[in-house]
Amino acid sequence: MESDNPIDPELQRILAAKSMRRKELAALPIEEKIRILVRMQEMVAPLIRARGKEAVVWKIDA
Amino acid sequence: MERTLQILNDLVETGVIKGYAIGGAIGAFFYAEPVTTFDLDVFIELPQTKGCIVTSSPLYEALKAHGYRESGESVSIEGIPVQFLPLYNALIEEAFSTAIEKRYGQTSTQVFRVEYLIAICLQTGRDKDLTRVKMLLEQSDIDRNLLKDILLRYNLIVNGIR
Repeated sequence: MESDNPIDPELQRILAAKSMRRKELAALPIEEKIRILVRMQEMVAPLIRARGKEAVVWKIDA
Repeated sequence: MERTLQILNDLVETGVIKGYAIGGAIGAFFYAEPVTTFDLDVFIELPQTKGCIVTSSPLYEALKAHGYRESGESVSIEGIPVQFLPLYNALIEEAFSTAIEKRYGQTSTQVFRVEYLIAICLQTGRDKDLTRVKMLLEQSDIDRNLLKDILLRYNLIVNGIR
């Protein structure tokens, strides 16, 4: 649907690139996704713990 | 992770549980980009015991016997907190009965079909569930006819996609 307020072409390019990157991530093997998850958990866990909640980073064997 | 799945498979083979299927955020991992989560949601069907009572006690006893301890709502199995969930409504039961085989490394596992993951998210309806719906719709190969059929039968169209 066309908008009266078109998105800036540069922003459009960035959004398209983000969308492409997310589709590439979706296509990764599940094992690689789990490795990414653990890296994200390592980044997020200290923030969650700072709020007084438990956050256990997974120990994965592969 | 692979060892965790092997333990779940062992629980099925030894009859502690009748079957299991992965849902939730990790279920969605099989179809879309990874997002942060800390639990592995596993839906289980329990065998009936004497007197037709269905109880999860044998499951937790078996896990305890293997040294896996409960922590809050989950059990840590080989370093991964596993949350065991019952088949709590008709949609979940259907998702469970139609779960498909996927592989993690050399290990076979059961995962909800993406169409059911979407329907369950719509039924649950929290903000993070609706975000997951959008992600799955954008990134996975979906059987649109199956999805439409599920959404119609469970009256979920009004809450989400058409």
